[in-house]
Amino acid sequence: MDQNNSLPPYAQGLASPQGAMTPGIPIFSPMMPYGTGLTPQPIQNTSSLSILEEQQRQQQQQQQQQQQQQQQQQQQQQQQQQATAQQATSQQATQVASGQASQLFHSQTLTTAPLPGATPLYPSPLTPMTPITPATPASESSGIVPQLQNIVSTVNLGCKLDLKTIALRARNAEYNPKRFAAVIMRIREPRTTALIFSSGKMVCTGAKSEEQSRLAARKYARVVQKLGFPAKFLDFKIQNMVGSCDVKFPIRLEGLVLTHQQFSSYEPELFPGLIYRMIKPRIVLLIFVSGKVVLTGAKVRAEIYEAFENIYPILKGFRKTT
Amino acid sequence: MAYQSYRNSTLGNSLQEINFRGSLNTYRFCHNAWTFVLNDVEFREVTELVKVDKVKIVACDGKNAGSNTTE
Repeated sequence: MDQNNSLPPYAQGLASPQGAMTPGIPIFSPMMPYGTGLTPQPIQNTSSLSILEEQQRQQQQQQQQQQQQQQQQQQQQQQQQQATAQQATSQQATQVASGQASQLFHSQTLTTAPLPGATPLYPSPLTPMTPITPATPASESSGIVPQLQNIVSTVNLGCKLDLKTIALRARNAEYNPKRFAAVIMRIREPRTTALIFSSGKMVCTGAKSEEQSRLAARKYARVVQKLGFPAKFLDFKIQNMVGSCDVKFPIRLEGLVLTHQQFSSYEPELFPGLIYRMIKPRIVLLIFVSGKVVLTGAKVRAEIYEAFENIYPILKGFRKTT
Repeated sequence: MAYQSYRNSTLGNSLQEINFRGSLNTYRFCHNAWTFVLNDVEFREVTELVKVDKVKIVACDGKNAGSNTTE
């Protein structure tokens, strides 16, 4: 999995599940404040469906990212200053910049700072934050962080499935082949819905973060596996991310559609929101008179943040003054 | 009078208006039949109130073909 590349070389040997696995060469690094109770081993691209492993893997990543963060705090602050300067000018959606950019926003979904060249694909929302105050000029940052509302992801379980068996034996499942050719299954934690097809492919919707989406997909795969199918966890991919936020002032949509007509479409009789199709990043924004903004079409969290930072100064220019 | 003949003509258990409220544990829809398992349910009839820890409801479509079993 790509997360393995996110760890710098010295930390790669340290990523290991805490469960009972084959012991590797113990590495004691004096830079690890948490100590090694762990038996480090090379990172596995595990397609096993143990939920415990998945959660431990996520905790591992958070711990390591935390350690990296504490060690590199000074460097990060310098990088942030550079990043904000970059952000003001450049439109790059590189993951390094996006990782740093996302660090500028304080929210419960704050990502930990990556090292230069390190690209965490799944920022962990559960990391307790060491507060870092970015040196952002007031005109640059909006100070508003879009909140993720929905993540849609797909995964291939790698085997044909008998939907009738699944619907009869699994809990919280619906199967009406006359209406739709998939089993609709739901779980409570994370609160998600999955569409499971007989080909073995599955769509998982409703999660509020990337990690939750992945965890939920693994839980569904586990359910299918426990019913006796040789389910695997292949090609997990996040297909769409939806975020929303509030700029806290009313907006003159008519003005916006006049000046940005190649990007906007506004038909109040059809839909009360203005549909703004941003080119870079390729995100669709629904902008409402109240100042609420919905952003969708992202494959990564950074695209949502970047799109909002792009639109915010435009929206400020169309603030309703009455 | 008309009410009495109605009571006699109804198949199986004749029920008045029944409300029930509880929390849903699981649900299933397969072969056009719903199966629900509810917890901590209160069945409220005009005359009486029945509280129950666990209820399994099996229901399917149809004018006179709906069936209910409880445990």
